[in-house]
Amino acid sequence: MMKIEAVIQPSRFESVKDALREIGIEGLTVTEVRGHGRQKGHTEVYRGREYTVDLLPKIKLEMVLLDNLVERAVDTILKTAKTGKIGDGKIFITRVEEAIRIRNEERGENAL
Amino acid sequence: MTTDLSIPVSILGPQVETERQRIRQQFENGESAWETLRVLCQLADQNIQRVFGQVVRAHNFDQQGLCILALGGYGRRFLFPYSDLDILFLFGNEKAESEARSLIEQFSRTLWDMGFRVSSAGRTIDECKRIEEGNAEFHLALLDRRFLAGDSGLFEKLNTRVLPGSERQARPFLLGQLHKLTEERLTRYGNTIFHLEPNVKESPGGMRDYQAAVWLRQIVSDKTRAITAAEEELASDAVNFLSAIRCFLHYKNGRNDNTLTYELQSEAAARSLGVRDGSARTPEQWMRLYFRQARMLNRLLLRYMEYKPLSQQTLRQRIFGAAKAVKAEPSNGKPYVVRDGFLEILDIHSLSNHTVTFSLFVEAARTGVPLGRETERQIAYMLTHPELPVRNAQMSWEEFKEILGSDYPGLALRPMQRLGLLTEILPEFGIIDSLVVRDFYHRYTVDEHSLRTIEHLQELSNSTDELGAKFSPLWKAVEQRELLVFSLLLHDIGKGMAAEAHVAGSLEALETAAARLGLSPEEKAEVHFLIERHLEMSATMQRRDIFDPGTVSTFAGMVATQERLQRLCLLTYGDIHAVNPEALTPWKAEMLWRLYVAASNHFSRTLDTDRLHISDELALREQLRALVAVTGTSDIERFLEGFPRRYLAVHSQSEITTQFSLYRQLAADPVQTELIASRHAYSLTLLTADRPALFATIAGTLASWGMNIVKADAFANSAGVVLDTFHFVDLHRTFELNPSEIDRFRKNLTNIIRGTAALEPLLKSREYASRLRVPKVEVITKIIFDEESSVHSTLLEIVTQDRPGLLYDIGSALARLECNIEVALIDTEGQKAIDVFYLTEQDKKLTPQKQKSLQEALQSVLG
Repeated sequence: MMKIEAVIQPSRFESVKDALREIGIEGLTVTEVRGHGRQKGHTEVYRGREYTVDLLPKIKLEMVLLDNLVERAVDTILKTAKTGKIGDGKIFITRVEEAIRIRNEERGENAL
Repeated sequence: MTTDLSIPVSILGPQVETERQRIRQQFENGESAWETLRVLCQLADQNIQRVFGQVVRAHNFDQQGLCILALGGYGRRFLFPYSDLDILFLFGNEKAESEARSLIEQFSRTLWDMGFRVSSAGRTIDECKRIEEGNAEFHLALLDRRFLAGDSGLFEKLNTRVLPGSERQARPFLLGQLHKLTEERLTRYGNTIFHLEPNVKESPGGMRDYQAAVWLRQIVSDKTRAITAAEEELASDAVNFLSAIRCFLHYKNGRNDNTLTYELQSEAAARSLGVRDGSARTPEQWMRLYFRQARMLNRLLLRYMEYKPLSQQTLRQRIFGAAKAVKAEPSNGKPYVVRDGFLEILDIHSLSNHTVTFSLFVEAARTGVPLGRETERQIAYMLTHPELPVRNAQMSWEEFKEILGSDYPGLALRPMQRLGLLTEILPEFGIIDSLVVRDFYHRYTVDEHSLRTIEHLQELSNSTDELGAKFSPLWKAVEQRELLVFSLLLHDIGKGMAAEAHVAGSLEALETAAARLGLSPEEKAEVHFLIERHLEMSATMQRRDIFDPGTVSTFAGMVATQERLQRLCLLTYGDIHAVNPEALTPWKAEMLWRLYVAASNHFSRTLDTDRLHISDELALREQLRALVAVTGTSDIERFLEGFPRRYLAVHSQSEITTQFSLYRQLAADPVQTELIASRHAYSLTLLTADRPALFATIAGTLASWGMNIVKADAFANSAGVVLDTFHFVDLHRTFELNPSEIDRFRKNLTNIIRGTAALEPLLKSREYASRLRVPKVEVITKIIFDEESSVHSTLLEIVTQDRPGLLYDIGSALARLECNIEVALIDTEGQKAIDVFYLTEQDKKLTPQKQKSLQEALQSVLG
C-alpha cells in the first residue's frame, strides 16, 4: 500500500478529481491548504494598503492505494494538474505500513 | 389487563411485555402519538400502583407517610416507549424514609425486572421546601408532579400547602436556572433548528423547546402574555408530529435514542409519519414538514425566553420602579420605544395603521434594535384578525427599499418572514418556505439560507472577526445595497420551481416581483444580473486560476463595473457563508478577497487602454439614434468615440441619451450642466471642452458651496470633450432648505468655468469652517505612482483623509504642475478618500522628475 499526497492548483481540482474517478479511485481526502515552494508570493496593493501574498492557496489530495494502482494514479494527476507554469504543485509518495477500517476493524488491503 | 395484585413478577413481566408489543403494533398500524403515549403511561401507572400495593402488603407497611409521584415528562403523561420513569418517593418525615428503605429497594427492582426504566429520587416533605441550588432540574421536574400511589393526604399537603409558597419564592431562581439550562442546550446545538440529523428531543425546535416554554409560562404565570388558542393549536399539532417521530425512533432503535438519522428520515417519509393524510412523501417533502413544526416550537420558546429572571422587590421598589418606567418612555411622538434593547409598541391600536407597523421594521433595519417578541405578537394579532379595520396595508417599493438598503436589513426581514408579511410583499418567497435541499453540504432550508445570507452581511456592519474584517468596508460603502439584498431574497427561489436550472426559475420570480413592486428598468436589470451571475464569482475563484491576468480580465469584463463587483463579491460572501456554518473557510474567504482585489485593480488600472470605438458599437449607435430621434449618426459617433469603456458601464441608456442631448447643445452654450437630486446625494454632470485645471475648478466650486464630493468620474472623448460626473452630499442642506440656490449654484459654476467669476474669494470664506472639523478616524496619506498598468499614462493613486475641498487641493496641485487628467476615479470609504488619476504631460507619461515634484506638492497639500 502506498500513500499519494498531491498538492495542486485549486483550479485543477475538479479535473483531477474527475480523472481519478474515471480510473476507479474514489476514496480521497481533500484539504484546503496554503503554502509556497519555488513559486514565491508577491505584493498586491488595494486602495493604498499592501497585501503580501506569500502563501498561495492550494488543494492537497491524499489517497492510499494498492501498489499496482499507484503509477496510473500519478500519471492521471500529472496529466490533469499540469499547466506548465510555476506553481503547479508536487506529488509525494510514501509506503503505508497498515490500514484499519474503524467500523469493523478490518486490516490491510481489505480496509482500503 | 388483569388487576389481580397477587400475580408474581414472573407472570406479570411477560404480560406487560405483551401489552407493550400490542401498543407498538397499534402505533405501527397508524395509531396516533397521543393515544400511544396515553396507553404507555396508563400501562406504567397501573403497574406501579400494582407493584407498590404488593410490596406494601409483603412488608406489612403502613402507607401513611409515604407516597409515589410521577415527575417531568412522565408526570405530564408524555411517556415514550423507552423513556425513563421519573418518580419521587415522598416521605412524611425521616423516620418514614428509613423504614421504607427495603420496601423501596424491592419496588424498584421489581419494576426493573418488568422492563420499566425507573429513575427515582426520595425526599421528605420538609426537604421539598428547600431549594437545592445545584439541582434545578429536580425542581423543574417537580412542577409536573402527579400522584401515583400511597398516602394521598401527604401528596395533597405537598401540592396545596408546601410547594405553592416555596415555588413562588423560588421563581427568580427557577427562571434564572431555566434560562441558563435552555441557553446552554441551544448553544450546544448551534442555536439552529437546522441539523442534517436533528435530535427531536434536545435540538432547538425539539420537544425540549416546548417543555421549556411550558415551564417558563408556568413559572411566570403571567396571564397577560398567556398563549392564545391559535398558538395552542399550532403548538399542539407540532407536539403531536414530533411525538410521533419520537415513538417511531424509540421503536426503531430499541432504546431512548432520539436522533432522526438520514436513513430513518427516508423511512419516516415513506410512511408519511405524523401526517394525517398518510400519503407517501419524498424525504425532502417530509423534512419540510418537520422543519415547519420545529420552527413553530422554537419560536414559541424564544418568545417565552424574553421573560427575564425576576429579582425580589419590595412594594416600595415596585412602585418607584413603575413610576420610573413610565418616565423613561420618550414622548417624541413615535408609537414605539426602545425598552431592554428591544423595540416595543406603546399602543397596540396604532398598529391598525400598517404605516406604523412598517415604520417599526424600518427602524429595526436602520438602528439594529430588534423588535420585541411581544411587539411581534401584537402585530401578529392584528394581522390574523381580518375583522379589525386596517389602513395602508400595502408596503410600497420605496418603503421596502428603505429596509433592504439599511445597515441591518435582516432585523426587519426575519420578523417579517415569521409574521407572513414578507410573503405578502414578496409572494415568490413563499415558494421556498421550509424547502429542504437534502445533501450533506446544505445545512439549512432554502428560505433560511436566503435570510442567513443577508444576516451574514449585516454582521459586517460591526465585524470584528478576521473572516469578515476585509469585507466589512465593502458592506458599509456598497452602492444600491437594496438591490443586492433584494437579489439575495430572490436568488434561490428557482429551487422551489419546476425549472431545470434554478437560476432560470429565480429570474422568472424576478419578472413577476419587479412588475408588481414597480422596480425601474435599471433596478431590475441590476437585480437580474446579480441573480443570473450569482454563482459566477464562486466558480471563478474555485475553478479558475485567479493569479492568471487572463482569468481576471475575463471575469472583470463580465462584471463590467467596480460598483457591481462590490455587490457580486458581497453576494458571494453571504451565499457561501449561509450554506453551513463551516462552508466559508478562511481559505475560501481569502480566495474570494483576492479575486475581488485583482478585479478591482483591473478596473482602475486599465481604463485608458480600454476605450470605445464606435465602429465596434453599431448597435448602441442605432439605439441612441432611435432614442434621441436624430437622422444622422455622425454626432453620436463624435460624442462616443474615445470614451473609456467604463463610460457605458456606469451610465444607463437614459443617462447616455440625456448626456448626448447636452453634448448637442454645446454649440449654443459651451458649458452644459445637469443636477439631479437622489435620496442621499446629488449628481452633477458637466460637459465642456477640455481646458487646464477644469477638474480642480469644478471640485473647488463644489467645495466653496460647502458640498462634500463622495465620488466622481472624469472622462474625455477623442474630440477633447470632457464629461465629468460628481456625486456630492449637501452638508449644510443648502439646496434642500433654499431650492432657489440650485439655479444660483449652476450659474455660479458656469461663470467660474467660463472665467467670468472668481473662485478664490468663495473658497476663502469656507476655509475657516472646514478647519474646525476634527477627523474621527486618522487615515495615513499614501501617494503611489504606477508606470506599469497603462501604456499611455502614469497612474497616480492617492489614499488620504477625506475633507471638504480635498479634491480641489489635489486638482490644483496637478494643474499647477501642468499634469493633464485623462481619467479620474474618485471614491470615498467612510473618512478615507481613494482617488485614482490617469495623468499625462504633453500626451506622454510623467517623467521621474515630474513625479518627484508632484509627490512633494501633494505631500505639502495633504500633510
